[in-house]
Amino acid sequence: MKNPLKKRLLRELKGDFGKYLVIFILLVLSIGFVSGFLVAGESMIKAYNDSFEKYNVEDGNFRTEERLSDQLKEWIEKKEVSIYENFYVERNFDNGTKLRIFPNREEVDKVCVMEGRLPEKKNEIAIDRMYADNNEIAVGESLISEGKNYTVVGLVALSDYSALFYNNNDMMFDSSAFGVAVVSKEQFEDYGDDGLRYNYAFIYDHKPSDDIEEKEASDDLMETMTKKVSLENFVPRYLNQAINFTGEDIVGDKAMMEVLLYIIIIIVAFVFGITINNTIHKESCVIGTLRASGYTISELIRHYMAMPLIVTIISAVIGNILGYTIFKNVCVEMYYGSYSLPTYVTVWSAEAFLKTTIIPLVIMMIVTYIILRKKLSLSPLHLIRRNLSGGKQKPAIKLSGALKFFDRFRIRILIQNKSSYIILFMGLLFANVLLFFGMMLPPLLVHFQGIVTESMLAKHTYLLQIPAGAVDDDDEMAAAFSYVFLLGKINTNNPDAEKFSAYSLKTIGEGGTRVEDVTLYGIQDNSRYIDAEFNDKTVLISSAYADKYGYGKGSVITLKEPYEDKYYGFKVTGTYDYDGGIAVFMSKKHLNDVMGLDEESFSGFFSDSEITDIDSKYIGTVIDEESLTRVSRQLMISMGNLMYMVDGFSVIMFIVLIYLLSKLIIERNVQSISMAKILGYSKREIAMLYIVPTALVVIASLLISYPILSYVMVWIFRVMLKQMMSGWMVIWLDPSAYVKMFLLGAVTYAVVAIIEYVRIGRIPMSEALKNVE
Amino acid sequence: MQLELQNIKKSFGEGDSRIEVLKDISLGIEQGEFVVLLGPSGSGKSTLLNIIGGIDNADSGKIIIKGKSMSDMDEKALTSYRRDHLGYIFQMYNLIPNLTVRENIEVGAYLSKNPLNIDEIIEVLGLTNHQHKVPSQLSGGQQQRCAIGRAIVKNPDILLCDEPTGALDYNTSKEILALIEEVNQKYGNTVIMVTHNDAIKNMADFVVKLRDGVIRKSYKNEQKMTAAELDW
Repeated sequence: MKNPLKKRLLRELKGDFGKYLVIFILLVLSIGFVSGFLVAGESMIKAYNDSFEKYNVEDGNFRTEERLSDQLKEWIEKKEVSIYENFYVERNFDNGTKLRIFPNREEVDKVCVMEGRLPEKKNEIAIDRMYADNNEIAVGESLISEGKNYTVVGLVALSDYSALFYNNNDMMFDSSAFGVAVVSKEQFEDYGDDGLRYNYAFIYDHKPSDDIEEKEASDDLMETMTKKVSLENFVPRYLNQAINFTGEDIVGDKAMMEVLLYIIIIIVAFVFGITINNTIHKESCVIGTLRASGYTISELIRHYMAMPLIVTIISAVIGNILGYTIFKNVCVEMYYGSYSLPTYVTVWSAEAFLKTTIIPLVIMMIVTYIILRKKLSLSPLHLIRRNLSGGKQKPAIKLSGALKFFDRFRIRILIQNKSSYIILFMGLLFANVLLFFGMMLPPLLVHFQGIVTESMLAKHTYLLQIPAGAVDDDDEMAAAFSYVFLLGKINTNNPDAEKFSAYSLKTIGEGGTRVEDVTLYGIQDNSRYIDAEFNDKTVLISSAYADKYGYGKGSVITLKEPYEDKYYGFKVTGTYDYDGGIAVFMSKKHLNDVMGLDEESFSGFFSDSEITDIDSKYIGTVIDEESLTRVSRQLMISMGNLMYMVDGFSVIMFIVLIYLLSKLIIERNVQSISMAKILGYSKREIAMLYIVPTALVVIASLLISYPILSYVMVWIFRVMLKQMMSGWMVIWLDPSAYVKMFLLGAVTYAVVAIIEYVRIGRIPMSEALKNVE
Repeated sequence: MQLELQNIKKSFGEGDSRIEVLKDISLGIEQGEFVVLLGPSGSGKSTLLNIIGGIDNADSGKIIIKGKSMSDMDEKALTSYRRDHLGYIFQMYNLIPNLTVRENIEVGAYLSKNPLNIDEIIEVLGLTNHQHKVPSQLSGGQQQRCAIGRAIVKNPDILLCDEPTGALDYNTSKEILALIEEVNQKYGNTVIMVTHNDAIKNMADFVVKLRDGVIRKSYKNEQKMTAAELDW
């Protein structure tokens, strides 16, 4: 005989449709959203990883002052590399952007056509797809540069520019202001030598097996080349941000999404836990009778586990379908909104399935099993008598008679439902985590943009670069000559310019933080730009540096030469208010001494006006408002959509939790409410008794959650930023976001309270007369 | 002897608030007997029934059913003892609200390897016209009939009834009692019924009067009445 209890399942679903619907929505959205994200991430990372082979991505590139002769090329290729011309020009366009234009590439760093076609004739151009999106340019439209009209014939992704870094030293790329493009050979030849950059891509004949070998191979190659070639730039692939940044970021996003998933799973497990608990409360007499009749605990556990599991499985199936379709597309759009990735094919992700479906399913099973096991193991007598604590009934807490009757009643309700209220608080706390994240990040970025520009050292900070190989290290005489020659080229007549020396070292990754560049500035005496007194021992660290690592006066910082086993220790004597980067300030003399540089040696200029008389090839990095705010601008572009999704998701989570938990509290008191009606209490009075306590708990939970969240989220954000990002962002929490969050929580509860009010009105008086002991 | 109780003791609470609910109760019940445990509220009759039913434990003493001691049974064995030998009827019907009358009875039938015919039971219970209704569509008496159906459909050796008429009016109570009587006679189950209604003792084969946890009087009824003849 089939277990007749099975017939209950469908009726249970119909009877409690609202409850199962919200659980279903919660699960479908969580599973769908996270699996969509993970699937998109995996598909993207696969497309990205495959692109190296598919598009024959370079192992590195270098730029020379002059075009390489055939003999020189052959000579370099003896170092077991193949060299390919990858020349480009840069053009400013009338829409205020800059494009780096290459002729079509056929052998290396090949082009992925996303839409339209490659240019075939003069005046045709295929532009980077993301640059086109950000500037709202479509195929068929025109672009004008220096009076020349180009027709956009295609949208492309260049395999060596998945992240559109203009300069490899930039902290962040800016895909609105800068893009890459390809033109036909004919068109490219038309540019002649005007601004032509002799850029070459190289590929090793034997691929290095790991990063260390790759570093050795690239160091060797550079060293060899500098003997005969005047290098302007040399970027091996492992250091090329335009190629590597995307991969690292997608992996980082995945980690973040997994944290989100765990939060969701905990919330869902909570919801299931309390739902099951409530069902047992509601049916304890029936369960006791069944147990007394001989039903085993396992039979009843199976029965009561069935519905949550069926709902979870159906949600998982639908969640996965949505994950692989709608949500995946949303997330893919997000990636395409941040990176210039080639076309992708959706991959089946076993990992996503395990994490979004199997693990939540197992957690549901464990949570429901443990609760059921615990409650159903009570003796049938306890169950029949609704004594679910199993032990002795605790005496009622004494309440002061001075309290009004209604207040005492409400306090009793609070005490009776304390476990539900604790879970409500926990649930709201978690939902607020998401909301907090979604609401705090955009203002934080805007605020960062503001303060970083306020605390700039100068309107323009130029860090000069000596083209690789310009100074012959082996021959002192030649070096001296080159140096004098260079000095002439790297000076300026701009009256605002003030020299400084600088040196770049790396952090040592203390406490698991990301190893990052630290710029040491040597400031000249009586500086116009750095408002601080320096003596031979003064070492000031930037406020961003102090904030990120928690350093202050008296701390000792240890820094390292990038590619050598050489360490430097500095005792910090104070901080300097500069949020734009991880920097150390000392006197020029002090820095030059420590680094063994010539007393007069300098590395760049501070200037409040633009320096125009230094050739751009001698300028390595420019720190100005545009470059400092690039990080936050790009984050806004790439995370903007994610933030809206997170906001939407957390609001749904909010509604679901508040709805479900207040529904459960009313359900648990159906008989008392019914009895109160019989006694003559009005609907309004009953609502005041049963809804007000929940409202108070919701409001208190919201208010208590904010300081907890602020503390925890700032801590998490700091850890995340430390591990994932170079540089630093001052963490600022927008006070108005708290108000918004509170209003959102309060309005959500108000809606739920109205639903509850209607529900109270519908409870029949006959309920009190049924099944009462 | 089908069921033997030997020196059953049970108390609740500790220290000053300790109450001895059952004080050394011993009695034997024959197969097919209709036993009434009679006593006022607090006399220990329900506790005794629960101990017989294996849903409460005695502090000391022995219960032997068909020669097997219950005190040797673990939780699993107790469950299967209830499953195989007992049917329970409570004052409150505790029916599953979203199952129909027929399905509620099937819930009992599922437990038995050898259940009685469900249609026949429904007919005996007079629920043929109500078999597709859910409990909330039934009167109290009809719900209790359904609960009886659930208990007897698995053809238990012993039917334990805890104040089965406690929540019912006079006429309905008599109907229910008649039904239990019929079941007892038709299927030969032993019936142990707890009640505070003195009149019901008249329909029992064996009457056990309890007060303050002790058996004040126990006797075999020489002149049994039928349920229909009862009056109170």
